[in-house]
Amino acid sequence: MAAIGDANKALRAMFSGETPYDADAVAEHAQTIGSQSGEAVTTLFPEGSLEGPTEANPQIWDDWDEFVRLADRLGLVAEGLARAAYNRPSGERPMPSIGAMMGETADTSTMMGSRTMADMMGGSGPDMAMNADMMTDMPADRVFALLGDTCTACHTKFRVEKD
Amino acid sequence: MPIVVVLAVLAGAAGFGYGVLVLWPIDAGAAIESSRKGDPARGAYLARASGCIGCHTDIDGGGKPLAGGAALDTDFGTFYAPNITSDPNVGIGSWSLVDFARAVRKGISPDGEPYYPVFPYTFYSRLTDQDVADLYAAFQTVAAVGKPAPTSIIKFPFSERNGLKLWRALYWSDTSFQGDPVRSEAFNRGKYLVEGPLHCGACHTPRNPFGARDVEHRFEGSDALPGDGSAPPITSKALADEGWTTASLAYALVSGLTPSGDAFGGLMGEVVRDSTAFLTDADRQAIAAFLMGEDPQS
Repeated sequence: MAAIGDANKALRAMFSGETPYDADAVAEHAQTIGSQSGEAVTTLFPEGSLEGPTEANPQIWDDWDEFVRLADRLGLVAEGLARAAYNRPSGERPMPSIGAMMGETADTSTMMGSRTMADMMGGSGPDMAMNADMMTDMPADRVFALLGDTCTACHTKFRVEKD
Repeated sequence: MPIVVVLAVLAGAAGFGYGVLVLWPIDAGAAIESSRKGDPARGAYLARASGCIGCHTDIDGGGKPLAGGAALDTDFGTFYAPNITSDPNVGIGSWSLVDFARAVRKGISPDGEPYYPVFPYTFYSRLTDQDVADLYAAFQTVAAVGKPAPTSIIKFPFSERNGLKLWRALYWSDTSFQGDPVRSEAFNRGKYLVEGPLHCGACHTPRNPFGARDVEHRFEGSDALPGDGSAPPITSKALADEGWTTASLAYALVSGLTPSGDAFGGLMGEVVRDSTAFLTDADRQAIAAFLMGEDPQS
């Protein structure tokens, strides 16, 4: 997890514009995250290991399949980012439609740009079924957004927030 | 004579305190003009900013948008955010704009019942008339769901709703937004968003045993969030000490990522996913600039 954090730290700085964008470095950091995803993450959380320095929430073992799915998705999106690194970042995330804003479930068009008003009003987030091939031609920053969403989704479900 | 009157009132309050609470009228303040037109697109944006979607939708449980939220475990009981779809019976489809404005900004239901402050009307009181009309227009677009949300299970004595009148009198003053005239427009936009719609202080300001925010310690963090979570301090100093900048904070509100390469979890992960990720870059910059205490370059 520490290697993921280090790679993500460098990626975050580039995608937020705080350091210059370097496509080779993006691809390399994405590969590092890919190599640390999936089982490399899940084996760190043997059942019942709530002693010691863990921040895991016991929910992790009740919903192990979801944890595995997110750990695998991290690998998938990291692979997608390694491929998309040379695509020009697109800039701002597209504005959702009213329906998306108000909570309706997003379709794949959401991913590629247009968010609907339904998104705004409560549509669900990015389509989790997407594969790495679909990311190859996406702007790199959109793929990095998927990576961040994956990290956050897993921490939101399975990590206890302490000061 | 006046002293006698005061004593008589106090004696009455002591002897018949409950009756007094029951009969104590709630001042709903000035109403919004009922003919004000709202823009649904602008309202939907505000609904995201205000956390309506995240709290009133059981997202992890696959619930329909705004048909009622997941359980919120607090020291006062387990709250379920109600169905606020356009269903006329179990949602808010029968509400007028005036009803809606009074609920959102004053915390009073169309039946005249006070809401628990778990609904952050104490922040939404700063919403402008136009913002409220826009929100109302956006809620008209939401598909009706005819199933009510679960009933909240509130512990005694908090289950006595008339006690909320006392709470309101002690801990709430109906304030409109106060901008800072020496600051830039962007800084004040951030101030409005943070103090009003985004209600950051609901989690990041500690609360007293009665659930009222300790405003003397605004943004100093809280370790008593629903579900045993904690919220770090977000005063300008605390943020700077943790290495945040306006740029990195604005980026965290869309990406969920912190300067160290970590990602938010818990309730803040939900806030980014369901709320701040939907905002414009300009608004996230304004929020960050206000929290960092910096005026953005104009």
